[in-house]
Amino acid sequence: MTLRLASDAWIKELSRRLNESNSYERAAKDWEGDFLFVVEPDEEFDDTAYLYLGLHHGKSPSAALVNSEDERETEFVIRAPYGTWREVIEGELDPIQGIMTRRLRLSGNMMKVMRYPKAAQEIVACCAEVPTDWS
Amino acid sequence: MGVMRMNGYVGRLLYVDLSSGELRDEPLDPELTRSYVGGSGLAARLAYDIVDEVTDPLDPENPLIVMTGPLVGTAMPSAGRCSFCGLSPLTGIWGESNTGGFIGPELRFSGYDGLVITGQSDTPVMLAVVEGEARLMDGAGLWGLDAYETQDRARRILDEPRARVACIGIAGENGVKMAAVMNDHGRAAGRTGMGTVMGSKNLKAIALRGGGEVPLADPDHFALVVREILGDLDEDMAAMALRMAGTAGYVDMALMYGDMPIRYFQRGEWEPASRLSGVLMAEEYQKRIRACYRCPIACGRETHAPRYGLERVDGPEYESVAALGSLTMVDDLEGVIYAGHLCNVYGIDTISTGCTIALACEMFDRGVLTVEDTGGLAIRYGDVEMIHRVIDMLAHRKGFGDILAEGSATLAERFGVPELAATVNRLEIPMHDPRAFSGMAVTYALSPRGACHMQGDMYGVDTGQGPAVELDIVPGNRFEDSEEKGRISARQYAWRNLYNAWTLCQFQNPGVERLLRAANAATGWDLGVDDLLELGKRLVALKRMLNFRRGLSIKDDRLPELLFDPLDQGGSAGKVPDVDKLLRGAYEELGWDAASGKPTRDTLEALDLGFVVE
Repeated sequence: MTLRLASDAWIKELSRRLNESNSYERAAKDWEGDFLFVVEPDEEFDDTAYLYLGLHHGKSPSAALVNSEDERETEFVIRAPYGTWREVIEGELDPIQGIMTRRLRLSGNMMKVMRYPKAAQEIVACCAEVPTDWS
Repeated sequence: MGVMRMNGYVGRLLYVDLSSGELRDEPLDPELTRSYVGGSGLAARLAYDIVDEVTDPLDPENPLIVMTGPLVGTAMPSAGRCSFCGLSPLTGIWGESNTGGFIGPELRFSGYDGLVITGQSDTPVMLAVVEGEARLMDGAGLWGLDAYETQDRARRILDEPRARVACIGIAGENGVKMAAVMNDHGRAAGRTGMGTVMGSKNLKAIALRGGGEVPLADPDHFALVVREILGDLDEDMAAMALRMAGTAGYVDMALMYGDMPIRYFQRGEWEPASRLSGVLMAEEYQKRIRACYRCPIACGRETHAPRYGLERVDGPEYESVAALGSLTMVDDLEGVIYAGHLCNVYGIDTISTGCTIALACEMFDRGVLTVEDTGGLAIRYGDVEMIHRVIDMLAHRKGFGDILAEGSATLAERFGVPELAATVNRLEIPMHDPRAFSGMAVTYALSPRGACHMQGDMYGVDTGQGPAVELDIVPGNRFEDSEEKGRISARQYAWRNLYNAWTLCQFQNPGVERLLRAANAATGWDLGVDDLLELGKRLVALKRMLNFRRGLSIKDDRLPELLFDPLDQGGSAGKVPDVDKLLRGAYEELGWDAASGKPTRDTLEALDLGFVVE
């Protein structure tokens, strides 16, 4: 079964896969800081979705589709149009390249993120494993 | 001599003959500036007429050319650099190295766009230029001082406490082949041994002071462009990262990509290397950040190293952290800070020094070197105190240090293992692995000064830092090794050579359109986007012909054997770029003959380089 990106099921599946990933656990063993992924509308997607992902010491204790940016306080927010998220998840856009070119707009403590690029890479790898319905 | 107004330029060069002591002004030729801009581009054009196929880099005839570009000393952000150029004693071919700080702007304020220094003084001298007046002064009181002491003492001798000083340390005096020119304390024109050239001339220091200005063609528009660039800086994530954690902030990313060399380019992963992170440096050792002239990024770090009794010390950049750290299997950041400090005070290039020591570690590990060769010293990976000792030996040419002072290629040849030297055209490979970013293979193979990351930072392009979309230089797949990737890499190579002629810091990437507007507003030129790559291609073709005249050929467009072994771990595991395919695309883009590697006659003539046609 495939899951729509902007859904509670998708982000919970990502969370589950992170919790099973030894590579992610190693890369993020000291990481503390939750993320909010904001999926912005474009020609393929006409809504705005907010995906909350809790991250703590190499695990993802919680995840949920939330109604607004204010519903859950997170240390980091990354925004991008739906099509850009798709490029990242399908491996066509390196997330670091995306952040540097501002196609992915990151807000939060940049210094902290800079210490954990490998963890970001492992999250993207887990994203790619989530069976996603792009229709 | 009166100087004709020349927008974007002071309008004159100072020629110094150290053999005769003659100093003379020459007006800057507007045609030359329009064709070669400044910096290493204009220096190469001047050098082409001064040196020939037999000039020895340590001969008095080899010029040390100190050159700025048209934006240096203006309000343009991060335009405070200065190039030191000539034939390289380390490589035997074209040498160029640029440095930040304040020395470039001060040269222009003192009344000159550049200095062309030839000859050899019988005794140590200092060249002083104050408010347009140049003179040679006795430098005996400076000889033997380290680079920091020299700068301070020169200011006192000159009684100009705000003078900017470029100088050599003890290594330059001793003919160490990778000697740097040092300025503004720890800023360095490090690569290719320009400090060795300076030392060979008995020129210990150049002290500059002045209150001049650079005339601008359209000051109002120039100010507008500057405001736009500064206003958008918050959008530049690379600049933001550099400001926060310095260039060493790249360590964690580099490790993820497999870009940061480990154990002399032979390991893809080594977890302790993350202890060298610039973020940790900022958290644990940083005292303050430091900026070059009018630079809003401020990537410079001032740190401390209490274990070595240092309260304030210039912190190492990424290249130094990797060359003196992961390359030699050292994860002790404080020890690396101290190693970088030793290189600074002695005045030696941290990249060539770290690479040469790492090669010695590898040779010792393989049994090629023994304690009998090293005077009893075990040169083992991971021993930072040994590295400190060896840096001292190298700078003073003491014992085994006398061999290390010749650089990696000579070290490997001396012991019968030339294939082990990670060099291109005898210059040590810097800290970006072409197995992680295939475009770097083109940069290293074609760089006019030997392996150099500043001649086309494809690792930057493919991580999204400062793409030049108007020039079709866009981020892509970092492992792609197609002919098209070769063409993109060649364009970046030409573009960065133009940057080095503008003498701009490559961390400042305001975009092609804004740079054009700034350059045109400064100079009064009417450059368009199409002119930029033509300018860049002219510069690389000229340097190419200068090197071919000195014996280089297409056979020298090669990477060292070590880099053809795929790594079995890390972010570039299993990858080796197809260099031949990449180069085919690059030659085509540059208009160079695929069989000989030479710019074709048509290319040379189209670039107005007919004078180099044989």
